[in-house]
Amino acid sequence: MTAIVECRGVTKHYRLGTIDVAALRGVDLTIDKGDFASLAGPSGSGKTTLLNAIGGLDRPTKGSIKIEGHEITALNANALADLRLRKIGFVFQAYNLIPVLSAVENVEFILQLMGVEAAARRARAKEVLRDVGLEGLENRRPARLSGGQQQRVAVARALASKPAIVLADEPTANLDTKTAEDLIALMSGLNDRLGTTFLMATHDARVISRTRRHIVISDGGITSDERRKLAEAEPA
Amino acid sequence: MLFDLAWRNIWRQPHRTALSLTSIVLASAITVFVLSLQLGTYGTMKESVLKLMDGFAQAQPKGYSDDPDIRKAISDPQALMTRLEGMPAVTATAPRATTYVVLSNGPRSYGAAVFGVDPSKEAEVSTLHKTIVEGRYLREGDTDAAILGAALARNLKLSLGDKLIMLGAAEDGSVAADALTVVGLFATGAPEADRQVVEIPLTRFQTDFAIGKRANVIAIAGRHLSDIQSALPELRAAAHEKGLVVRNWAQLEPALNDVILLDASFSLLMYVSLVVIVVFIILNTLLMSVLERTREFGMLMAIGMRPAQIGRMIWIELLLLACIGVALGIALGSAITAWVARDGISFPSAEALFSRWHMPATIYPQLDAVSALAGPLAIGTAIIVAGIVPYLRVRSLCPVSAMRAS
Repeated sequence: MTAIVECRGVTKHYRLGTIDVAALRGVDLTIDKGDFASLAGPSGSGKTTLLNAIGGLDRPTKGSIKIEGHEITALNANALADLRLRKIGFVFQAYNLIPVLSAVENVEFILQLMGVEAAARRARAKEVLRDVGLEGLENRRPARLSGGQQQRVAVARALASKPAIVLADEPTANLDTKTAEDLIALMSGLNDRLGTTFLMATHDARVISRTRRHIVISDGGITSDERRKLAEAEPA
Repeated sequence: MLFDLAWRNIWRQPHRTALSLTSIVLASAITVFVLSLQLGTYGTMKESVLKLMDGFAQAQPKGYSDDPDIRKAISDPQALMTRLEGMPAVTATAPRATTYVVLSNGPRSYGAAVFGVDPSKEAEVSTLHKTIVEGRYLREGDTDAAILGAALARNLKLSLGDKLIMLGAAEDGSVAADALTVVGLFATGAPEADRQVVEIPLTRFQTDFAIGKRANVIAIAGRHLSDIQSALPELRAAAHEKGLVVRNWAQLEPALNDVILLDASFSLLMYVSLVVIVVFIILNTLLMSVLERTREFGMLMAIGMRPAQIGRMIWIELLLLACIGVALGIALGSAITAWVARDGISFPSAEALFSRWHMPATIYPQLDAVSALAGPLAIGTAIIVAGIVPYLRVRSLCPVSAMRAS
């Protein structure tokens, strides 16, 4: 299998006043192409810190992180921004979208940053919105979309650049049960159909139960990494 | 992309944007009106003072202003006057000869400046004839006539029709003495002129002081002072050919120039204060907006937008606010100024003060490119430059801490 993410000895220390807090303690982790993985653990275990480090949002204190074989820990702020733009898709718990842009413009925005020509980016934005089931809602602004629809737009935006991996941080935390299950089914379906690699930091048992790989982190270290075969994948 | 996003962002909080725009519009409009009024006042002051006697410019022999000696004279004033009057900016010219004399009436004697003037020409350049309070101004055909300041006449105990004895030094060193008839008294409101000036026909002056057909200066008038100011290079070239120099209004009335510069300096402080206040209002509003959107900026950085791009977007928001506000402010300020300029602003209670500068009691704002643009552009530029503050603030954000902001 091709490794999309390779973490070796990733350590992250924070200073909280005079106290040194170890958020990650030498994490070794490989995410392969096509993985549909959940990263679970109690609050403060280091899930988000690890996700941020992999996504180039935060720098580890020590260790190596490679995305598609390229070391990212030494990159400067602009190079990290480019990496996030082209190689990584993000879905957050909330505040995912630009409120003044419509659904299609939110998706297009990424492609505009990448310098994609207008007609091509509009076509691609519509294609991914169709993929996430938002056909007909392209011109609505976030305020006129439900929470689930907003998260679908966020997923569409994350997919627009055809990234190496989509990192989702508690994507279902603000959604009701039905909407959350629909979103998980959507991401699972995209993973099946398009082979998109997903790594999701989550507490949500519904998400964990739908992933084919389950990683547990505790006190800044990986305590379990289990691959499993799901009985049946629901359609997106 | 950034422009479109910035444009939409500024309308996210329409009330706040309206408040910011109102601040810029009002401040810009105020600067247009106040500066127009100020320039109008300066223009009226300058023209009123210069029209009384000086003219808008003067051609003189070199060094005459430092040492106004009767021997420093223009040999053929008529030739230069004809040349100058052929210029589009010049409406009239008038030759003058000047020296200092002792005036007597019986036992009373006073020193004074005597001006030899061409009555018909002088009336086109100077408004002194309009300040006659008793008798009449000089006219063509006058031989021994003299007009003098009312205060000087009072000091000499002279009345209309009285004989005035004038004693001075002719150009050749002989004594110049003459007996003149008082035909008019003027009161300009300027103490120096009213106590020390007497005018007689130029021909009489030339005979009395033995200067032939010569004159000491040529006073130049135009429709507006600005016309003559613009024509100065041309005037100087013509004067230079005759070995003369041209003195502009500031050289003729340095005290007035100093008063205007002093007033403009104090006004500048007021304008700077206004600009600073407006900049702080706008900056405060924008920084509040930046603070509120910190999480959003974190998200934008997370999806691949560079901090500098976000900083530029904020700066464009400020640029848009400044441009719209300044444009509306120029339009509003110009409209108000143009409306007021139709009838001017009357200051009846300040008539006595204004007369010190021979000014009318009604001031007309002067709306031109400088008064319409200087203030608003200074405001706009200051706001745009101040945009460096939120720009740097956004540039210093890091995605993780920005997304954690409450």
